[in-house]
Amino acid sequence: MSTIKFNVNGQPQAVDIDPSTPLLWTLRDHLGLTGTKFGCGAGLCGACTVHFNGSAVRSCQIPVQALEGAEITTIEGLSESGDHVLQKLWVELNVPQCGYCQAGMLMAAAELLKRIPNPSDEDIDTHISNICRCGTYPRIRDAIKRAAQEVKV
Amino acid sequence: MKRLMARTAPMSPEPMSPELMSRRKFLISASVVAGGLSLKLLPADALASTRQPSALGAEAELSPWLKILPDDSVIVTVPTPEIGNGASTQQAVNIAEELECAWDKVKVEFALFSREYQQPGSYAVGLQPFFGGHSTDHDRMPYTLQLGASARERLKAAAAKRWNVPVTEIQARDSVLTHTATGRTLRFGEVAADAAGIELEVEPTIKPQSQWRMLGKTKPHKLQLPEVVRGTAIYGMDVILPGMVYAAVRQCPVHGGVLKHHEPEAVLGMPGVKAVVVIDPAKTVGSPVQADATFGLEGSECHSGVAVIAEHYWQAKKALDALPVEWDLGLGTFWSSVEKLNERQDRVLERWGGAALTKKGDVNSVVPAQTVEATYYTPFCEHATMEPLNGTALLTDDGLEVWHPTQDMQQAFWVAVDESGLDPNKVVFHQTLVGGGFGRRVIGDDVRSVVAIAREYPGVPVKAIWSREETTRQGSYRTALAARYQAGLDEQGKLVALQSETCFSGMELSLGYTDMAYAASGAIPNVRIATSKLPTHIATGAYRGPCYNSHAFTVETFIDECAVAAGLDPLQYRLDLLAEWDPAWSDCLKLAAEKAGWGQPLPKGQGRGIAISNWPHSGARQAGSTVCAVAHVEVSKAGELTVHSIDLTFDCGRIVNSDAVLQQLQGGVIFGLNMALNDGLTIKDGAIVEGNLDTIPLLKMADIPQINIHFEALSGHDRFAIIGEAPVGPVGPAIGNAIYQAIGKRVRTTPFRKQDLSWS
Repeated sequence: MSTIKFNVNGQPQAVDIDPSTPLLWTLRDHLGLTGTKFGCGAGLCGACTVHFNGSAVRSCQIPVQALEGAEITTIEGLSESGDHVLQKLWVELNVPQCGYCQAGMLMAAAELLKRIPNPSDEDIDTHISNICRCGTYPRIRDAIKRAAQEVKV
Repeated sequence: MKRLMARTAPMSPEPMSPELMSRRKFLISASVVAGGLSLKLLPADALASTRQPSALGAEAELSPWLKILPDDSVIVTVPTPEIGNGASTQQAVNIAEELECAWDKVKVEFALFSREYQQPGSYAVGLQPFFGGHSTDHDRMPYTLQLGASARERLKAAAAKRWNVPVTEIQARDSVLTHTATGRTLRFGEVAADAAGIELEVEPTIKPQSQWRMLGKTKPHKLQLPEVVRGTAIYGMDVILPGMVYAAVRQCPVHGGVLKHHEPEAVLGMPGVKAVVVIDPAKTVGSPVQADATFGLEGSECHSGVAVIAEHYWQAKKALDALPVEWDLGLGTFWSSVEKLNERQDRVLERWGGAALTKKGDVNSVVPAQTVEATYYTPFCEHATMEPLNGTALLTDDGLEVWHPTQDMQQAFWVAVDESGLDPNKVVFHQTLVGGGFGRRVIGDDVRSVVAIAREYPGVPVKAIWSREETTRQGSYRTALAARYQAGLDEQGKLVALQSETCFSGMELSLGYTDMAYAASGAIPNVRIATSKLPTHIATGAYRGPCYNSHAFTVETFIDECAVAAGLDPLQYRLDLLAEWDPAWSDCLKLAAEKAGWGQPLPKGQGRGIAISNWPHSGARQAGSTVCAVAHVEVSKAGELTVHSIDLTFDCGRIVNSDAVLQQLQGGVIFGLNMALNDGLTIKDGAIVEGNLDTIPLLKMADIPQINIHFEALSGHDRFAIIGEAPVGPVGPAIGNAIYQAIGKRVRTTPFRKQDLSWS
């Protein structure tokens, strides 16, 4: 066990923990932030996507020991009150079905828009490699494109 | 699984009408709860059948359908889980349509099955009491509409009494009651408690559909969306309880095998580890009363295994990975490979000995000009719900509580009772959101394992989590089947005899096969449609449109083969066969073909294919949901398949939320696409080979073709047929038929990724 200090959604955290614990389980079991989802545990599905110093990462693949001093943003911290342009459009365009993968999708899409404010279809294909079993992909694409337009205006 | 048929297939779609309501005996009773109005639906014989309330809190168990609180909140209790199709929201919309409340005041809560147990019929109105698959349950709709209307009239009467004016002068709209003559207003919440004391002489008549303001539109969207996008929605995986511990689960890789040996001492000293417990199917106690599980208890048996319990999940998982385990794999190892299964299926089919479930004329009486014969295979498939299997249970001296993402609360409740052996009054089942169902979370084998684990570690809540690999290997898969067809064509290419046999390895459902429209329509004079079984040890169960998802592939590929053999256009061939059938089928075919540019020339290596099917009423006119797909594909010489577009047309009669329907159809097309292109488990010595998602290819953003959903073939017939399952049917055969048009190769086995599509 060791104590790891890092920030989550702007709040300083000090977690006494097995240093091999993945960030995913640190967030869920130790910090009670269950918005970040367990889907595969192998970095394949993207349900656990969070921002690590601003970059989208799969939190199941990052041991907490790599986090000392890091800034982590989870779905709970993507916006103050759930009003990120993507969150609003996700509701307006009825994107989620079961919704389980959508936190990861939103975190991946938010990072994409930060990097490429007006992404092409190819950009979206490349950057959104998360899996949705319900098949919400066409609406995710639409929502990202709408968000790019709204931010531009 | 006979009961699956009974419960999922209403006998005939009935138009919703006051007559329908009056034939079903129920009462609406009002009371004051939390200073507001509370409405319950009671079966007319409820008082006679009400059981003794349990010690677990009578008030909670006797929860109402509808509450209106002093702050105007409208709380609708829903007996259907929410698996992503909006089933829970839809019931609230039904109530709001008649209640005339403001939509932003509406919340839904999941019903406790305990009340249904206490007072049978309280929520179980209609044929599908606790099934989550269906959002527009035609059978339940009249009740929810009536509840909304009843509450509205009580509120109006209470306002009239307060103002001492005739009730006819009161208007209800957006949670406000207005006295039209003077303009005075009261909020619903201000008279809700008074309304509880109102007795209606007669229940109000519900509005005609022409006056609907909310139903039949594109909104509202699902009520849980704001929580979903903020990460605050609670799925089974997200349940956190005081003192909770975590269990990591591993079960015998060959279904039916048992734990032979394990060494708990090897891991008990690891950090956080509290116990190693055995999941022992022999310890199932059995229900002390006659269980009323929706689909029966067969198939819900838990698989033998072990679980490591620890303070945190990661500790439990690490210890489980380090735990030495040996299995007695059992007889399932006989099934060494998929090839062996297919070979044995062939042996069954060669005998043509299956029971004929549909018969007409005599298939042996004709001497055809031409015979067409083909055999098709579809494999076991894993649901791969994004939320891996999990559940939480707490066993104490007082009873058992379970928190679970089930697709069927009634089934789950009775599985928990059966596993624990407790008096049903001592079992409480809490529904969470469901991170993907597709049929996987219906039968309750997961619930049973959760309870079996918690029983071995009583006193604190235990959350059991299956890894992705375990979720895959402990599945309840789509049935694998093989089907052989033989057709006799006359000189014009017309089908004069059709003989077929489908051999099921697993749960058997024949919807879309024995009742295929081509036979039901009467267009083929001699028909013999048979089924046979080749059981294996591998667990199977419901899978989005159970078995229909395979039948649509075999039927629609074979009809295509007949058209090709006859030298006729596959679209026209189907239209001719269905000429005397429900015209919506022809409308769907023609519209999909027209939208997809049917008949327009394509370069070599590209093709279009068409297929049509219906769930769950293929053999009835104006029933179920008819869906037709046209696929446009391209196959490179090296055999790489690209699906450019899918055009889908459908007829489910009418729709109550067009965006929800659109979403189900889009998702269903993608599910069907994945099923045709990718899905298919392999077997090695009785065990499922695949584990994590690197071995189960699932479509991603970059793989999705252009999907065009067309609404213009909707017939407007007065039914609201279920729409979630139907679209998975025609997509695969449309693609396969398109591949034939593109390169002249006939694909008779799924998934297509494993077939050689190269050409020169």
